[in-house]
Amino acid sequence: MDEDLEDLYENAPCGYISIGTNGHIVRSNLTLSAWIGIDREDLLGKRTKDILTIHSAIFYETHVAPLLRMQGYFDEVALDLIKANGEKLAILANVAERRDDKGNHLFTRLTIIKATERRRYERDLVEARTKAERGLQLERAASELREQFVAVLGHDLRNPLAGIEGGIRLITRNISDEADRAIMVLMLQSVRRMRQLIDDVLDLARSRLGGGIQLNIELEQPLEPVLAQVIDELRIGFPDRVIEWQFNIADPVDFDAGRIGQLVSNLIGNAITHGADNEPIHVQASTRNNELYISVSNAGEPIPPGTIERLFQPFYRGGGKSKREGLGLGLYIASQIAEAHNGTLSVHSDEQNTTFTLVMPTRQPVDTSATDEDR
Amino acid sequence: MSILRRNNVNISGNGARAMLFAHGFGCDQNMWRFVAPAFETGFKTVLFDHVGAGRSDLDAYDPEKYSTLSGYADDVVEIINELDLQEVIFVGHSVSAMIGALASIKQPQLFKSLVMVSPSPRYINDDGYEGGFTAEQIDELLETLDDNHMGWSAAMAPAIMGNPDRPELGEELTNSFCATDPEIARQFAKVTFKSDNRADLSKISIPTLILQCEEDIISEKGVGKYVHQHVIDSKFVLLDATGHCPNLSAPDQVIRAMREFV
Repeated sequence: MDEDLEDLYENAPCGYISIGTNGHIVRSNLTLSAWIGIDREDLLGKRTKDILTIHSAIFYETHVAPLLRMQGYFDEVALDLIKANGEKLAILANVAERRDDKGNHLFTRLTIIKATERRRYERDLVEARTKAERGLQLERAASELREQFVAVLGHDLRNPLAGIEGGIRLITRNISDEADRAIMVLMLQSVRRMRQLIDDVLDLARSRLGGGIQLNIELEQPLEPVLAQVIDELRIGFPDRVIEWQFNIADPVDFDAGRIGQLVSNLIGNAITHGADNEPIHVQASTRNNELYISVSNAGEPIPPGTIERLFQPFYRGGGKSKREGLGLGLYIASQIAEAHNGTLSVHSDEQNTTFTLVMPTRQPVDTSATDEDR
Repeated sequence: MSILRRNNVNISGNGARAMLFAHGFGCDQNMWRFVAPAFETGFKTVLFDHVGAGRSDLDAYDPEKYSTLSGYADDVVEIINELDLQEVIFVGHSVSAMIGALASIKQPQLFKSLVMVSPSPRYINDDGYEGGFTAEQIDELLETLDDNHMGWSAAMAPAIMGNPDRPELGEELTNSFCATDPEIARQFAKVTFKSDNRADLSKISIPTLILQCEEDIISEKGVGKYVHQHVIDSKFVLLDATGHCPNLSAPDQVIRAMREFV
């Protein structure tokens, strides 16, 4: 059985409207009448503005009509029709001009599909996106405020702390009693720990605010003495632990002594805390192919894969033997120091050993040598 | 970024006098394609896109600058100065009629006359003033814009067929309507439909031609007459046409009225 074109037009699953050259509706189908509750006879002679809501009518006049004249069609326009009972009907329409051979306008034809659900869904999406964007903006603003607060706080704590440290040193000079001196030594150690904590927090805040770790790079500095000093300090602090070293630093290196010292000290400190305490810790430093390699390895339990992923994140302290003191910033700051030197800090851990390796170029570009005024 | 690049300025024609065409809301300079060519002999015809429309430089869109029509008027003056145009006849459609008016008030020595096509100094009703719309209706319009930009992208921009009356043009122009940033389009709609330039009308000091359609839901006859009453040296012509864009739907009438005026 073949299709009945007349019936196909009148009862199509979509609405049809044809508008003549004078802007009046000249034909429409039954489906449309069913949707908006207005008979075909009553629609004859009406204009688009009579069947559209005001805002849709404005949109039609400013966007659809001009484009129809210029290019002959306009697809996927979202409009609202007005039903007989005054309610809105959300629709999607394709509109096209039918012209004769000479290009004169004969009809403007609309094919109309209902779009209530689609419109609701799209509006929900837009709203959700707007909300998410606004939330993100607020979050960013709050985060920046927090970082700035921390930076200011850390900075302001340093002076009083320096005062305490200075005061302790002065008093210690005049104390001969052994017990009292021991107390002073403990107080100094506490102050130093606080200072380190504040420095770490300041580093974190600055790097989060986008400044990054500021370096004080000295060109072609001897690296061995810096590493040796770090190892000596830790040997004094942990006399029961064995720290072995192998240095093969043939080429000159540009670096920030304080920061590289801090990095290596952190790595060895971690090895002491987390490594097997009856096995030695190995420190190696060498240069080859214009690159500097520094590695620190220890024996002991391997780091679980889940932990390895988050090792270099700030505030991450891991399970088990995390330091009782400290904020979990050491490795984060160490990785920032590596980055500031245009290098990388990586880790490998298995049953045999856990090794942290710093790889960085031996030479630094001249403008990296910024001074760090707050040191 | 040069001003000419920023506003996608296109110059044609020949003449000592310059005719500067400004499109209105929802369009770009292509809307003058049936009118501007008629003036190419005798005038230097200059077409441009407002920043944020058509193929203007979207990066140059500064929300603060373009939060009032004055920002757009400054651009018009800049284009005129950049091209060193003399005795400019400014032809502005819809909201650009007011933009031109503002520009001519800022720098009257640059302009010879104004042609306002379907102008309105204010769209929202006020005490004793019929702009045509309520504030709620305008807010609903802005929502409709959001609905219609959902999913559009520059990649989907359909092509404009060449003008059937000028087959020698033959090219397909990419329609830049759809390529506009939806956020910018929304802002421009807001600025347009919430504008109020009634107080500026009496400050226009140059001859002004006002063209209005018989039936235009956006700028009704009454509004056109209001403009005519408040602009000192003005002429009002009612076109036998419907809709808001007679420059597209009844270009011959527009050309005729303009020829009698300039």
